[in-house]
Amino acid sequence: MARKASPARLVIALAVAGVLAVFLLYTSIAGGGNPSLAPSELAGRTGDVQLAGRVVGPIRGDSHAGGLRFRLEDISGERRTSVAVLYTGSVPDLFKAGRDIVVDGELQKGTFVAQPGSMITKCPSKYAPKSDSA
Amino acid sequence: MPELGRAALLVTLGLSLYALVAGAMAAHLGRRRLARSAQNALVASFATTVVGAAVLLAALLRNDFSFTYVARTTSEALPTAYTISAFWGGQEGSLLLWLLVLTGFGAAAVSLNRGWARDLIVWVVPVFAAVSTFFAFLLVVVASPFATQAAPPDGAGMTPSLQNPYMLAHPPLLYLGYVGLTVPFAFAIGALLSGKLDERWLIATRRWTLFAWAALGVGQLLGSHWAYVEVGWGGYYAWDPVENAALMPWLAATAFLHSVMIQERRGMLKVWNVLLVLLAFSLSLFGTFLTRSGVVNSIHSFTQSSIGPWFLAFIAVVVAVSLGLVFWRLPQLRSPTRLESPVSREAAFLYNNLLLLALTLAIFWGVVYPMVSEALRGEAVVLGRSYYDFFLRAFGLPLLLLMGIGPLIAWRRASLRSLGTTFRWPTGVALATGAVLLLLGAGSSVPGLVAYTFSAFVLATITLEFVRGTRARKVLGAASWPAAFGSLISRNRRRYGGYIVHAAIVMLAIGVAGSSAFDTVTEAKLARGDSVEIGDYTLVYRSLDENVTANATEIRASLAVRRGDRDLGVVRAGKNAYTVEDQVSNEVGIRTDRLTGEDLFVIAEQIDPDGSVYFRVFVKPLVNLIWLAGLVFLLGSLITLWPDRREQRRLVARAAEAGIPATP
Repeated sequence: MARKASPARLVIALAVAGVLAVFLLYTSIAGGGNPSLAPSELAGRTGDVQLAGRVVGPIRGDSHAGGLRFRLEDISGERRTSVAVLYTGSVPDLFKAGRDIVVDGELQKGTFVAQPGSMITKCPSKYAPKSDSA
Repeated sequence: MPELGRAALLVTLGLSLYALVAGAMAAHLGRRRLARSAQNALVASFATTVVGAAVLLAALLRNDFSFTYVARTTSEALPTAYTISAFWGGQEGSLLLWLLVLTGFGAAAVSLNRGWARDLIVWVVPVFAAVSTFFAFLLVVVASPFATQAAPPDGAGMTPSLQNPYMLAHPPLLYLGYVGLTVPFAFAIGALLSGKLDERWLIATRRWTLFAWAALGVGQLLGSHWAYVEVGWGGYYAWDPVENAALMPWLAATAFLHSVMIQERRGMLKVWNVLLVLLAFSLSLFGTFLTRSGVVNSIHSFTQSSIGPWFLAFIAVVVAVSLGLVFWRLPQLRSPTRLESPVSREAAFLYNNLLLLALTLAIFWGVVYPMVSEALRGEAVVLGRSYYDFFLRAFGLPLLLLMGIGPLIAWRRASLRSLGTTFRWPTGVALATGAVLLLLGAGSSVPGLVAYTFSAFVLATITLEFVRGTRARKVLGAASWPAAFGSLISRNRRRYGGYIVHAAIVMLAIGVAGSSAFDTVTEAKLARGDSVEIGDYTLVYRSLDENVTANATEIRASLAVRRGDRDLGVVRAGKNAYTVEDQVSNEVGIRTDRLTGEDLFVIAEQIDPDGSVYFRVFVKPLVNLIWLAGLVFLLGSLITLWPDRREQRRLVARAAEAGIPATP
């Protein structure tokens, strides 16, 4: 039994096509996001990445003059490699040694140079505290 | 005491299981007394959950650190109000709150509706029971709030940014919203199971859905305001997965609230509505999962989280079973009517739904993308702010426009000529507004300009509707204009309350566009006596004070603010150093211009030992419209929620017309 074509189907088809077109448009101009890496995965990477790690002291310098220098190690703690980070711009309240943070930037001559103001601390409050932090 | 808590939760689990098994058997075999017994078990499970919650609350108030949960979330020095808010500050406590609200809502929704929709309710009970069994199981077996330990001398305290009045209201409101969406879900599944697929499940749950949706909306705005005044980075929404967790079910529920009207009016979109309810409920579970499992950090933390896998499994079961049921009942869900024209109110609502859904899915994709890419490519790829902003504009701006078109366009089929007359004025107003704004220099942000033009269009249509309606009531014999206006709203709360909510969304759009597309920012390191200029403001750094309170040391920089020759007083920004928690928090200074809704927002980013301070200063035009929108949103929601006998009678009469004997 042939059903009469309904405008509803046309509308839905057009809408789906429209949404797909927008998705394609977006991916073609913005090209997706940055890979998120741990310090141990950073070696040899070029280009912008997001680096997530645990802050290792000492923390030196001034983030508004010359830059803040510290090291980041893997949050999982499995591998003991760490990477030097140079950061300028706003420093979140929760930033200190032992905290987990995320910064955007790229590796330049062995130092991870972060984009100004890109630091985010992983908010410990909103998630279930890990047993070791109690 | 902890034994009592554990026992109460164990009994809750038992009662829920009984309500599930007995309720399902009773519904299947048609045993009326057994069904009644299952309903009573559901009500009783609320009582036992109250006991469990009372035990935890008492332990918190007594600072009983032999409860692991209490020791982890509070300290002796913590003020009482925040000790109470610690109830939902951790994983176990928030799960208990979920269960408490769930059993409470379940008991109320079932008791209120069993008189007039008995054949439906018998199937709704086991669905509620299934959800509460899951949460009770988690609380008994996986994440008990009543775990004990040798009491330490003091607790670990609460994160300073959570020591804030907002945290007394924001999380509970979100939970009311998340859990409230269980009610329409349970009724929808109950309707599918029973095969009674008439509109009664919609009538029974309309207010519940509205309530849950309003609570989610207000809860999110409170959260944004908290982020704005307390977290202190100069924004109010960061597309954080935890924020998106609440936005997604709200968007899905918004779509549902609209498409429901099409089903009530024209009997269309039945499958679609069931799917939207399912989506909203799954997203509320997913939201709880996101905030509570730690999976947002990385897929690796997923395995460390105790409840994550359980939640994911539950969501999978919910989705699979519900989709199976929809498929099974598909023949009965076929609509008697169909869309007649792509230019009609039905079609406008359908576009609105598709856009809301597209926005929801785009956000969902952004949230899960890091996990998907990590699973597929071994490398988590994070989608940034620009991704979300793009989709907010691509789907949000057309939605804004539709908000003006949808309510005015004719049902079934609208002619182009009638469209011309209906929208002549609003279009004129919108174009004029756009032109004026362009001359004033708003062309610096095209999305911002478009948002303003569309906003003017929607506000014009809303005003037009109110003017027309009020005039009609006056003609019909209202004593005065205010009386006519009042009776207009009270006689059709749903419609005019809805318009007020629309006005709130427009205000929100104007505020967001103003503060994000037309804001300015500057940074400067100032010694005492130095000044910085931003826009037409001049700020002079005067002094630095230190003040020691019970649980923190407060440092504040005072800045004198001038605009032109006018002295606007002092803004104070600084930091608090919390002693017990060993943390520092930014305390921003905000000066609000009450006339224009503009904020001058000052962050003291870095305070050097020599007394010089690195300041970051924003000027955010119209940002206060966002908070005002929250109040208007609440007002509109309350109007639509307010009990309305006339409306209820209309709905029931319509249901009766369709051949269902119904007496509310």
